[in-house]
Amino acid sequence: MGGRGSSPLILALESSCDDTCAAVIDADGLMRSNVISSQRAHERFGGVVPEIASRHHLEIANAVVARALSEADATLDDVELVAATQGPGLVGALLVGLSTAKALAAARELPFAAVDHLQGHVAANFLHGYDEERPGGQTDDVAVADGPFEPPFLCLIASGGHTLLAHVTAHDGFEVLGRTLDDAAGEAFDKGARLLGLPYPGGPALSQLARTGDPAAFAFPTAVRVPGLDFSFAGLK
Amino acid sequence: MIGGANPVAGGGPVVLGLDTATASSAVALRLADGSTTQARDDPRPGEHPGHATRLLEMAHELLDEAGRSWSVIERIAVGVGPGTFTGLRVGVATARGLAQSLSAELVGVSSLQALASAALATEPSVDSVLAVIDARRGEVFAATYGRSGETAPARALAPEGLSTIIGEVRSGRWLAVGDGALRYPAAIEALGVPAPPADSPLHLVSAAAICALGVHATPASGLEEIVPDYRRRPDAELALAAAGARRAPRS
Ligand SMILES: [Zn+2]
Repeated sequence: MGGRGSSPLILALESSCDDTCAAVIDADGLMRSNVISSQRAHERFGGVVPEIASRHHLEIANAVVARALSEADATLDDVELVAATQGPGLVGALLVGLSTAKALAAARELPFAAVDHLQGHVAANFLHGYDEERPGGQTDDVAVADGPFEPPFLCLIASGGHTLLAHVTAHDGFEVLGRTLDDAAGEAFDKGARLLGLPYPGGPALSQLARTGDPAAFAFPTAVRVPGLDFSFAGLK
Repeated sequence: MIGGANPVAGGGPVVLGLDTATASSAVALRLADGSTTQARDDPRPGEHPGHATRLLEMAHELLDEAGRSWSVIERIAVGVGPGTFTGLRVGVATARGLAQSLSAELVGVSSLQALASAALATEPSVDSVLAVIDARRGEVFAATYGRSGETAPARALAPEGLSTIIGEVRSGRWLAVGDGALRYPAAIEALGVPAPPADSPLHLVSAAAICALGVHATPASGLEEIVPDYRRRPDAELALAAAGARRAPRS
């Protein structure tokens, strides 16, 4: 029984990299909860270790689901569809979220939706109601600022794993206008920070340092010879 | 394929048993009267395991055949290995998701013990079983069991090292089972322990055995208690520890 009314809910899991996430939204795109548990275990390795990520996802997946439901003031009885990221991402990590979500759905004979991770980034723009302070620290997977946006719009996805410029014309798809030819923007950021000996995750640390830096001290290369709308960040580190 | 009824002692909860410690996916449904049906998916050599796609399908088929719905399941029993990490995680995540969804009890069962208990039940003249699961990378997971339970605990070791584990409890009639025993026949033969023919079902982890053991186990008090029995730390941690040991001054 949903405390906040009878609108059917969607429960979704994401475990493609090192964040274990679960969220509850309603059919109108209202976000009722969005739980993100970021794994700290990778710090001493200087990058995400797939086997360790998979182990951590499994340890906390059900607890993250339970918290997403309770923060949404809902139970599984209110859920009418379960979704999970099917990729791209770390295969072993993805399988934990997928297996958990499929089992949650199967036992209640609920439909299950396997979702493309990049489509998930795009679809974050369709959601609204996300305004609470976010527990669990920074992540690359929360993108709602002034949403919801209705198509058509231009969407830039820039994360640790992806850099993509998308022309979004509908709720269920997008056209890729350009993408990185090598590193993702966040990857170049993190690797650059690592080269400088900054603590993991290096991106935020580098970003912090840059605020007090001298913008004219170095002439960074720009990828002027990349044709069309594609990107290149490999030369930056 | 769906196996026939395999009755065990009656009474107790309705149990769904799963095992994914090896390349096989095994599912069994034990009803309250003790009757058990099972289904399994054994990929041929070179084929990918069907853990992520077949487990729930087969469970659904067993329920359909028994004319039952998911809601009758009172307990989920899952093989926690040791075995292949990704396979175990799919099995444990599936079991935990089902338990969460159904508010059912959850128990973890050793996949090695499931191998041994099925062999001991089938072969009354055998006193002890060496259960061996292929651990990849030239190693096996192994443990030994007698009629009254575990006699040498599970460990990861080279097949040549099996003599040490079996030497701990060498007496009576022995039998070696499991895909690890099939993978390293020379090492098993060197022990002087007989193994059933390669096509014997005793080499496969049976979900019916997982159910039978799961009936008697104490349910976990929280879902997070049930995790794979990895027996090995992640490579990255071992590498980091090794690098640390190299840097540390010798004493
Ligand atoms: Zn992402």
